[in-house]
Amino acid sequence: MDLPINTVLRPASLAEALKLLAERPGARPIAGGTDLVVQLRDGRRHADVLVDLAKVGLAGIRDSERGLVIGAGTSMDAIAAHPGVRSRFPALAAAAARVGAWPIQCRATLGGNLGNASPAADTVPALLVAGAAVTIASARGQRQLPLEELFAGPGRTHLKPNELIVSVLLPSVRLGQGRRLVERFVKVGPRQEQIISVVCMAGRAIVAADGRIELVRLAFGSVAPTPVRARATERLLERKVLDGSLRHEALAVVQEDVKPIDDVRAPASYRRLAVATLLDRFLAEVARG
Amino acid sequence: MPSKRPTARPVEGRRWKVEGPAPTQAVKSRESRVSASPHPAKPARPAPARTTDPGPRTPDPGLGPRTPDPGPLGGRHVRPDATSKVAGLTRYVGDLALPGMLHAALATSKVAAATIAGIDTSAAVAVPDVVSVLTAKDIPGQNLVGVIFTDQPLLVTDRVRMVGDRLAVVAARTPEAAWAAARAVTADLRPLSGVYDPVAAMAPGSPTVHESGNVFKTFRVIRGDLARARKAASVVVEAEYHVGGQDHAYLEPQGCLAIPEGQRITIVASCQCPFYIQHAVARVLGLSLAAVRVEQAPTGGGFGGKEDYPSEPAACAALLAWRTGRPVRLLYHRELDLQVSTKRHAAVVRHRWGADAKGKLCFAEVETIMDAGGYVGLSTVVAERANVSAIGPYDVPVVDVKTHVVYTNNLFGGAYRGFGAPQVTWAAEATLDKLARSLGLDPLEIRRRNVLDARKRVLCTGQKLPGPVLAGEVLERATALAGWEGFKARRPAGDDHLRRGIGVSLVLYGCSLHWGGQKLDRSSAVVILQPDGSVIVRVGLAEIGQGNLTAAQTIAAQALGVDPSMVQVWQPDTTTVGDSGPTVASRGAHMSGMAILDAVARLRTRLDPVAAELLECQPSEVELAGSFARVAGQAGRAVPISRVAAEMASRRIEAISTGWYHPPEREYDPRTGQGAAYEFYALACHVARVAVDPELGLVKVEEVSASHDVGRVIHRDALEGQIQGGIVQAMGWGVSEALPLKDGVLQNPSFTDYVIPTSADVPAIKIDILESDGPGGPYGAKGIGEPSFIPTASAIRNAVCDALGIDVDTLPLTPPTVVAALGDRHPHAWVLEVKR
Repeated sequence: MDLPINTVLRPASLAEALKLLAERPGARPIAGGTDLVVQLRDGRRHADVLVDLAKVGLAGIRDSERGLVIGAGTSMDAIAAHPGVRSRFPALAAAAARVGAWPIQCRATLGGNLGNASPAADTVPALLVAGAAVTIASARGQRQLPLEELFAGPGRTHLKPNELIVSVLLPSVRLGQGRRLVERFVKVGPRQEQIISVVCMAGRAIVAADGRIELVRLAFGSVAPTPVRARATERLLERKVLDGSLRHEALAVVQEDVKPIDDVRAPASYRRLAVATLLDRFLAEVARG
Repeated sequence: MPSKRPTARPVEGRRWKVEGPAPTQAVKSRESRVSASPHPAKPARPAPARTTDPGPRTPDPGLGPRTPDPGPLGGRHVRPDATSKVAGLTRYVGDLALPGMLHAALATSKVAAATIAGIDTSAAVAVPDVVSVLTAKDIPGQNLVGVIFTDQPLLVTDRVRMVGDRLAVVAARTPEAAWAAARAVTADLRPLSGVYDPVAAMAPGSPTVHESGNVFKTFRVIRGDLARARKAASVVVEAEYHVGGQDHAYLEPQGCLAIPEGQRITIVASCQCPFYIQHAVARVLGLSLAAVRVEQAPTGGGFGGKEDYPSEPAACAALLAWRTGRPVRLLYHRELDLQVSTKRHAAVVRHRWGADAKGKLCFAEVETIMDAGGYVGLSTVVAERANVSAIGPYDVPVVDVKTHVVYTNNLFGGAYRGFGAPQVTWAAEATLDKLARSLGLDPLEIRRRNVLDARKRVLCTGQKLPGPVLAGEVLERATALAGWEGFKARRPAGDDHLRRGIGVSLVLYGCSLHWGGQKLDRSSAVVILQPDGSVIVRVGLAEIGQGNLTAAQTIAAQALGVDPSMVQVWQPDTTTVGDSGPTVASRGAHMSGMAILDAVARLRTRLDPVAAELLECQPSEVELAGSFARVAGQAGRAVPISRVAAEMASRRIEAISTGWYHPPEREYDPRTGQGAAYEFYALACHVARVAVDPELGLVKVEEVSASHDVGRVIHRDALEGQIQGGIVQAMGWGVSEALPLKDGVLQNPSFTDYVIPTSADVPAIKIDILESDGPGGPYGAKGIGEPSFIPTASAIRNAVCDALGIDVDTLPLTPPTVVAALGDRHPHAWVLEVKR
């Protein structure tokens, strides 16, 4: 294959990887490569030097006091299969299971899905509704960032060239007495597998016994330059009891939260109808109890 | 009593009962077999049926078989190319390399309409490792490609008519250098106003693609008094259908290897017609046909995309090889292949069809506008098939069909499985459902009232269908298999956001080539009996994944009474067999088989006397079956065929035989479209069951039931594989594969966004096979490659419309298309009006 790459470096530790990224301007980290290799071949991204993260030890899922920590090198397949993710963050498990198809899921990593910064990244809406934060490292140290603040635009993050995503924190949910959690991920595309989302949505709601929505987070992919939280809609719904007119109003308000465009996958009008449909179905499940 | 065919397993179709009207015709047909084929080599059908798998045969050399062996016909022996393909051992063009071989690349136009003021190759020549950069002036012969017409240069000189027009060709020591140099070729292109809509292209004043005008040709079928028929109709449906094109999406992109040898040249190519390439290369290099040898490489899928098109890359590689004196290989990458190779024609189909109050069709007017792209290619032949397929297998007394071939600056229309028939079938079956709805009839019922049968057997071309007409039979069987009756009562409620629908479509497929292509419709075979009793077979028709090697092997083994494992069928090579035309039009097994049977018949004029001597009987009494030559009717008097072969060798008797076949001449009037367009026809019916999410426009094809009159089963696995593959490929065309263009530039030239089905999308497929005694090819077999494709997307479309209660007249039925068809009926349509 015609890949314009001069050098591939294989650091054996995180410290070594960060050192290489600091020393070699133009170096780019690579994990599963399922996005990057295609983009390098097509000339959509460039890299003189690739820093292969395979031996850096960023894979793995562990519990911490604050929640579940998923290493950036964890594969989609491992995330989708992890019992803790499946029980506590079902939207993320569902999203990871819909990235590409199984062969892709076995290579693609969570860090790569974030670093690639696709507006259609399937895991991002699920992570957004989970209130995820990313831990970022460089040779100078570590910092933590709410996931929402990571993305700058299509294919662009606020990461500095020498920085690396090392893990993602999913805060634990404390569900009070009599509360129920509704969490969903839905992906819309013209075939069952191996498809880029035309629209995807994740939703999380905590509903009190009296039907009042205590917390609601809604996030969409492929409807804006980055995956987005539907903040206006969330504000509309929070602390209210869902009824027909509120549901109706939400479908109008959510249109302000998204800014879809016409592209080869669908016109903006289709995406707006899909956003309304997915939100309506999610709210129906929230109301159903 | 009608003889039964040998089948390794019971014929699936007979396991279930047909509901509805009792199908009688097939039964009748079996009692009076029509022998319409005049070919003398047509063998008597082999004897008795059995109901178990044969298993490996080890002939007893002492005694010979006690029971007659029915042979492999209709069975499921392992196809000869299966193991090497599954194990990755098959050598495709991309696996072939020769010492000193150069790599070719193409410099192509990125715009669709321009005049060329100059082409500059100096930067390309300067790229390291580049050996040769050639333009039109370097062509020693004619700068022409194109199978039928001469409107297409190999390398453009003055005018660009579509994206992908070749400006220059490059050979270099590495593929990377070759493509880098190709990108470095610059052309001074002066933009012209292009035309990107075939309907607009027909209008006066439109920019023209060729000086002769944009409407290249119009084909007609005219029958009956239209004015009177219009008056008789009580219901008339008018409709306009917009049917999209399709890429072949073969696994292996275009590729070939050219090897110069002094004053002659060998081409090894991924292709469906080595003879087309032979002619194209000879013309471009100015060589005699005999100086050009074309070997078909194992080919990773064709579907029509490797019929005419491979002549273009082959001529490019040949030119570079000729000029450099070195082997040159050209391999397309997928993005280039998607943009520049031929496509199924996008078409606009306009209908005005009328029926009387009982639903009997009175007339059908069809006007089809086929988007040929920048050159005519095979578009006229595609239009000929579309033209006579426009009405389907229905009895319509008055017909007025027009099919226009129109130039645009869009993608290059070419051959694709179905060849014009899928587009018009999609429209015809949609209109039938609309008529049924207008009349309050069930879609099944309106088809019952109009389908051709033993009494009504005249096609729109005036041709009387020969043999049994099993259109009603396949209709009843497929709908019964799908559970049509009662489906609507059982239709599940939509609590899962899904609505279920069912749709039906028939197809009438004219097997092999249209009257207009008769001169290409012949085939050649060579059969060589080896001294050990094994057999070499050469045919001129290609294995492109469809199972032609399997079919040829089965037919040769059946005819010679040997085990299929003793028969080796080798890839076509223009130096070993005569020009057999293209492997298209579902004619592979048919034409290979007939030529093989002729070759075997001729071989037996020398084999039978030797066997007769060994058996002490008359040559006319010799029968070949179960690996033995034996005295007919006397199980004990047998000698292994290997012994007969050894005896022939020791006596120096000629054990090589050629075979030849062509169908009988037919009469046809191209001005009126009346006459025998095809020799014989296959009939099939598909029923689709779908689940549609109307709010998201998502279509899931849940099940397709297929009933086919195949004439005779040659190899049951290959047959079922063709039906399954045809259904899945047609589902992709009908539901998800779109070719969006902007000024002739394809907007989704990768498999990321050109959405073909994956295994996860494949529906449940139920197959019912009917065998019949009408005219056909070897042992009565008809073609299956295209009948398996054509009635699928139309059945799916009708099922989707049944589920939604609306018409969707644009193909493919992508989510945005379905949602757009719903319009204001979408429950959330109002959100589009919300002020933001």
